[in-house]
Amino acid sequence: MPLERIPVVAAAQWAVSGNARPLLHEIAAQLRRLLDAGEAASIDLSALPLNPADRDWLRERLGSGEVSITLDAEGESTLAETAFPGVWWVTHRNQRGDVLCELIEIAFVPYLVGAPRDDVATGLERLELALSEPNDEPGGRNP
Amino acid sequence: MKGPLIDSLVQQGVSRRSFLKYCATLASMMALPPAAGPAMAAAIAAAATRRPPVIWLSFQECTGCTESLTRSHSPTIETMIFDMISLDYHHTLQAASGEAAERARLESMQANFGKYLLIVDGSIPTANTAYSTIAGISNYDMLMETAKGAAAVIAVGSCAAFGGIPHANPNPTGAKSVGDLITDKPVMNIPGCPPIPVVIAGVLAHFLTFGSLPELDDKGRPKAFYGETIHDRCYRRPFYDQGKFAKTFDDEGARRGWCLFELGCKGPVTHNACATTKWNGGTSWPVESGHGCLGCSEPDFWDAGGFYKALSMPVRPATAAAAAAGVGAVAGLAVSVANRAKKSAAIRTHQPTTLEDLEK
Repeated sequence: MPLERIPVVAAAQWAVSGNARPLLHEIAAQLRRLLDAGEAASIDLSALPLNPADRDWLRERLGSGEVSITLDAEGESTLAETAFPGVWWVTHRNQRGDVLCELIEIAFVPYLVGAPRDDVATGLERLELALSEPNDEPGGRNP
Repeated sequence: MKGPLIDSLVQQGVSRRSFLKYCATLASMMALPPAAGPAMAAAIAAAATRRPPVIWLSFQECTGCTESLTRSHSPTIETMIFDMISLDYHHTLQAASGEAAERARLESMQANFGKYLLIVDGSIPTANTAYSTIAGISNYDMLMETAKGAAAVIAVGSCAAFGGIPHANPNPTGAKSVGDLITDKPVMNIPGCPPIPVVIAGVLAHFLTFGSLPELDDKGRPKAFYGETIHDRCYRRPFYDQGKFAKTFDDEGARRGWCLFELGCKGPVTHNACATTKWNGGTSWPVESGHGCLGCSEPDFWDAGGFYKALSMPVRPATAAAAAAGVGAVAGLAVSVANRAKKSAAIRTHQPTTLEDLEK
């Protein structure tokens, strides 16, 4: 039988399994802890049995908020606040664009956003070095 | 965050933020709680720039385990890991051959005695050690010699972990697992046929980060990846709970993605991370593509009574084969006699998969 004669039927659409709903309770508990104790937390979505429909359901329930941050660090990462302030949907990609991991972070600001102290110190050194070099710009005055 | 490794990375133009992101994805890959990311970053940053030496030995195997690791679809992470170890001997991957290759192994063993990591794939023949040799050295002798100076031994793949397919009834080569032979060293099993690439990489990362093996279960497997069954983490589990089963591979239930238990899925008794980690860069995994789990990360999965027989169906006890197996310890000529007895016993108890099994 030639291959063309084999009928191709598109697979059924994914159905919500119900595995995502308990996550909302966990997020609520973590938000409570963030408010009461100031403790941040994250949930690793790649370790949970969610099918694509569950993931879409969760995304829809969480919605989108005011802030969305793009990080360009050995591949793109997106940190998007959901409609619930303090709940962030974080996606880390590698340089080829493959998703490495997806997390839900519960924090006032995700910890990757803040500049590490040592990087700030290195940056300051660079800036000071640049300032100590002769100023060639028109109207510039040398130190 | 200070230390030799992070300093050298910063000099190469890697920002600390990139490094923190890397550690966050590494924690996810190692199935650690996400909060472990920053702690790991501090530990790795402080690690020495000297890369820990690794010796990889391949015995009775098909090279599928090496293929799995090298064909991994998340190159960034695996590459970073291989940038962090020094693979001193791996006869499939190394450029050297012949005497130069064996010299590389011996030199690494001498220079790093007590510190190197020994990774083994494949089982070891013991009925007659000549069944499998490398450079004229039997697998058994090479394993014993190399294990002496190892800090820890990792058995990669079901053959090294449990004997695998060479160990399948009637086990003509007398194949044994690494754990059967090495009893005075920490041995960790990473079974699977082959194991999931990120699991191999994740466990290596754990050793590099913490300098020790992760927590193991009663079969020597890292709990982070083998702590739960395929069934418990399966997205089709809700259908099992509702009693919705596919009865054949092309019925309405199969099309709707119902549970494959009645088609022989071994998910309920198989411990592995396929259901969440998936395969081929997270594309899919056996159950998602419509076939039950074969149970490849469990001991003797090859002899578990048929891939298409439901777990609830009784398997005829292979009594004759079991009786013959008891004779297997006899040396020399008697072994071949015993093996012949085992073989004929296996033929008698052989249970072929029939069309009825498939069309149930």
